[in-house]
Amino acid sequence: MINFDEEIEKFQPSLEIEQAEDVINNNDLTDVTDILKELLKGNKENKQ
Amino acid sequence: MICPNCGSNMPDKRKRCERCGTDLTLYKKVQRASNLYYNDGLARAKVRDLSGAVIALRKSLDLNKLNTSARNLLGLVYYEMGETVAALSEWVISKHFQPQNNDADEYINKVQSNLTRLDALNQAIKRYNTALGLAKQSSADLAMIQLKKVVTLNTNFIRAYQLLALLLMKTGDNARAKKYLQKVSKIDVTNTTTLRYLQELEAPAANAKDLDSNPEAEQSGPIGAIMPISSYKEDKPNIMAFVNLVIGVVIGLAVMAFLVIPTIKNNKSSDNSTDYQNSGYIAQLQDKDNTITTLQNEKADLQKQLTDLQTQIDNTAVPEDKTQVYVPLFDATEQYFTELSKSAGTRDFTAVADLLAGVDDTQLEIESAVTLLNRLRTEIYPDVAKAHYTKGHNLYSSAKYQEGLVELQKAMTFDPADVDAVYFAARSYQRIGDNVNAALYYNKVITDFPDSSRVLDATNFLAEVQG
Repeated sequence: MINFDEEIEKFQPSLEIEQAEDVINNNDLTDVTDILKELLKGNKENKQ
Repeated sequence: MICPNCGSNMPDKRKRCERCGTDLTLYKKVQRASNLYYNDGLARAKVRDLSGAVIALRKSLDLNKLNTSARNLLGLVYYEMGETVAALSEWVISKHFQPQNNDADEYINKVQSNLTRLDALNQAIKRYNTALGLAKQSSADLAMIQLKKVVTLNTNFIRAYQLLALLLMKTGDNARAKKYLQKVSKIDVTNTTTLRYLQELEAPAANAKDLDSNPEAEQSGPIGAIMPISSYKEDKPNIMAFVNLVIGVVIGLAVMAFLVIPTIKNNKSSDNSTDYQNSGYIAQLQDKDNTITTLQNEKADLQKQLTDLQTQIDNTAVPEDKTQVYVPLFDATEQYFTELSKSAGTRDFTAVADLLAGVDDTQLEIESAVTLLNRLRTEIYPDVAKAHYTKGHNLYSSAKYQEGLVELQKAMTFDPADVDAVYFAARSYQRIGDNVNAALYYNKVITDFPDSSRVLDATNFLAEVQG
């Protein structure tokens, strides 16, 4: 049985077009490749 | 392949970067995994499993943010789901990582070139946010109005459809909620929220199936209305034909009562009203006849009054212009002075005397005018009378009795006391054979001038003319 109030709370406001710039600027674009790069960089420094 | 450490390009088969010496084995595995997820996402998007595609493509990008194909596809999927801002964001980021030869250019241009469409999409987002706020404030009706507008503006806005369906379910309009959810299912076939709501809507049917397997529940639940299959029985006589017949008769009677009879009554009443109208017209005609008679009488009276008044007008003597009676007097006076201005031998007052003779002294109301008239007459008449007598006597002597009579008459007019003029007028009449007038004038001599020397002759001649 659906609890309507809880269901409605799950819905989030949609971003407006004027807010697109903020979304792009604040987007966390870190990927696994970046993490790997950091890890390899750390290993190299430890070896030295 | 591009080395993630130094950025140098190298063959894909190399396991280590030739420039910086970085081990590329893990990088290669990560890229391969990213591509696998991209392929998975593409496969899901092709069958409209948009939710699944989003998850796969997100994983692909988490592994390799430079996977432009995955990011562009994610933008397309978002756009198809009605998430315009998310789609544009992905395409802009994609453009950032790959400025050249990027399909994101085309996507962004297509969206931005149609400003009307873009405005409609933005309006849809704003209205959706408003509706969400209203829904959270338990204003479901207002929220639904907004959401209906939203799904008109952006027909693929899945979240709006879902919220609208949820509110419809809350208000008990499950049929319409199901309709909207089915529409969402055609856009995104595996959206878990949609499927969950649909499952909720179909739950009563599932419960009914459960109840079928439990006969004891039939009598207590709403499903008890379902009739069990019974054994064969003889069909009862079909009473529907009889019922239909009765209904037909009732309808016929109703038609008679409500349509036919009122029409007949109306016709009758209209006939009566026609008679009544005719009688009314007759009364009006009589009134008009009376009016005409009255008017004719009035006209006759007025005509009579007019005739009387006209008669009165005709009988009424219009007073003459008083000034006209003075005109001959003035003319005579003027003529008199004209003659006076002449030399004594050439003066001729006969014309003046004639003018004065034409003056009616009874009409003169001004005393001075009467005085003037009398004075002029006193001054002029004796001389003029003498002149006419002389002329008349000369004509008499010349046996011109008719012409002489004219002059002698004038002489008598201007000087009635001149017995000679009367005597010779009588003689002239006698000469021309007019004994009556001759006797008249002889008598005048005898009567009016008894002391005159002419009386004896007049008496003798009177005897002649009367003899």
